[in-house]
Amino acid sequence: MHALTHTATATEPAVTRGETTKLGRAIVVTSGKGGVGKTTTTANLGTALAQRGARVALVDADIGLRNLDILLGLENRVQYHVLDVLDENASLDDALVADKHSDGLYLLAAAQSREKEEVDTEKMRALVASLRERFDYVIIDSPAGIEKGFKNAVAGAQEAIVVCTPEVSAVRDVDRVVGLLGNRFRPQLVINRVRPQLVKKGTMLSVEDVDAFLRLPLLGVIADEPQIIVTTNRGEPLALSRDGQTANAYHAIAARIAGEDVPAPRVEMPKPTLFERLFRGGRA
Amino acid sequence: MNLGAALATAGKRVILVDADIGLRNLDLVLGLEKRIVVDLVEVAEGRCQLRQALIRDKRFPALSLLPASQTRDKDAVTQEQFAAIVDQAAEAADYVLVDSPAGIEGGFRNAIAGATEAIVVTTPEVSAIRDADRVVGKLSDRALPIRLIVNRLRPEMVHTGDMLSVEDVCEVLGVELLGVIPDDEEIIDTTNRGEPLVLDDSKRLAAIFHKIVRRLEGEIVPFTRFGNGYRHGLLGRLFAGLTTG
Repeated sequence: MHALTHTATATEPAVTRGETTKLGRAIVVTSGKGGVGKTTTTANLGTALAQRGARVALVDADIGLRNLDILLGLENRVQYHVLDVLDENASLDDALVADKHSDGLYLLAAAQSREKEEVDTEKMRALVASLRERFDYVIIDSPAGIEKGFKNAVAGAQEAIVVCTPEVSAVRDVDRVVGLLGNRFRPQLVINRVRPQLVKKGTMLSVEDVDAFLRLPLLGVIADEPQIIVTTNRGEPLALSRDGQTANAYHAIAARIAGEDVPAPRVEMPKPTLFERLFRGGRA
Repeated sequence: MNLGAALATAGKRVILVDADIGLRNLDLVLGLEKRIVVDLVEVAEGRCQLRQALIRDKRFPALSLLPASQTRDKDAVTQEQFAAIVDQAAEAADYVLVDSPAGIEGGFRNAIAGATEAIVVTTPEVSAIRDADRVVGKLSDRALPIRLIVNRLRPEMVHTGDMLSVEDVCEVLGVELLGVIPDDEEIIDTTNRGEPLVLDDSKRLAAIFHKIVRRLEGEIVPFTRFGNGYRHGLLGRLFAGLTTG
């Protein structure tokens, strides 16, 4: 079964980790609400951690609606998926797809034509446990919602990242998800799609507003910028580069996850326009 | 929410059903969250009548909301119970709009159980389109007529080739187009405040929702062309009359 899809050198590092005794960290990325950026966060965090030299496995738990392969540009390289491994139709080595761009980063894709209800929660837990033996980080991209797919995604994780946009509906969903997670996962918050211009105008909730409501450790703040959409469509995560505020925000999240002491996350607020300077602030 | 409000403005009797049990939001974006007493699960369990659970929106006398339960699971309601509630609502309204949860699990199957038509909402991103394609397949299995709304379009990004165009999206999905909604701060602002934007005809997007309503009513309405000049700034607003007419 070996070396069907990969060369021996490509699979080997996935199998043997430097220190064999220490288990890697399994982190689930979840949100409740759909379309807030779970998959984008997963792809960029995985890329940023791998760029730091960590060995990272990304698991797409959105069976039936997979997307992580597209964001990484790996959709043509997927041969086996999570359910193949759970059903023992493929070995982990065969199913793990090496990333094109980052050494040490691997994807375990979701099945597109199957249902979430087909996944056995205990088997999923065992799969994540065996990935933890091989990788420093196992990052699980949860589907939206709080149904079976969410429960499966959470099953093997010890930590959680909750992703939220500055909208009241997304904030409420995260609040509910944090309640469902209970006390085990030490959830940390990523606030995504912040538009500083709108915060300044008062039409969007600010980071402080969201923080005051949720009271979670803040892991990062990501601005809403067109470049995210472009890189997503292209299959090249923004965190591949270190240029610009948003790419650096992802690298700061990775550093924080790795336990580094990084300055508190913030988004650069727009400078006052000429108009506002003339009229001493106006609405701002 | 905005479609429901636009239908109600056009004189239609509308019932909005929030099918996202456990993660309800429709009450919040309508600003009705403080008026919930009983919810959909209690109606399904026969513990109260449908009309007792409906919350009438004071701003739109023809619009009511059947809220989801926040503390229960999706499997608290069966597909049969869900279909029965939607059937009952359809007797009392011209339109019953069921807001489906994300995904394709039990909550999605419940949401489509009583429906006779489907509106699929996607953004012009590769990942969202792939999800929509999967959902269209599931809906086609049930022989539901499907129409498409393309949401969060950024015309300036389409112009520079950084975003798929509406034509691209329609071609991939092969579904009839019902409407195109540009990515506009008005949506964020009004949903955060719980005020449907069709309340205010000066809003740029109000006209778009009114057009969608006319298309739902069977009229043939030309689609708004979003030129490269659709912008949120002062300059954009000066030219808005030219581009969003």
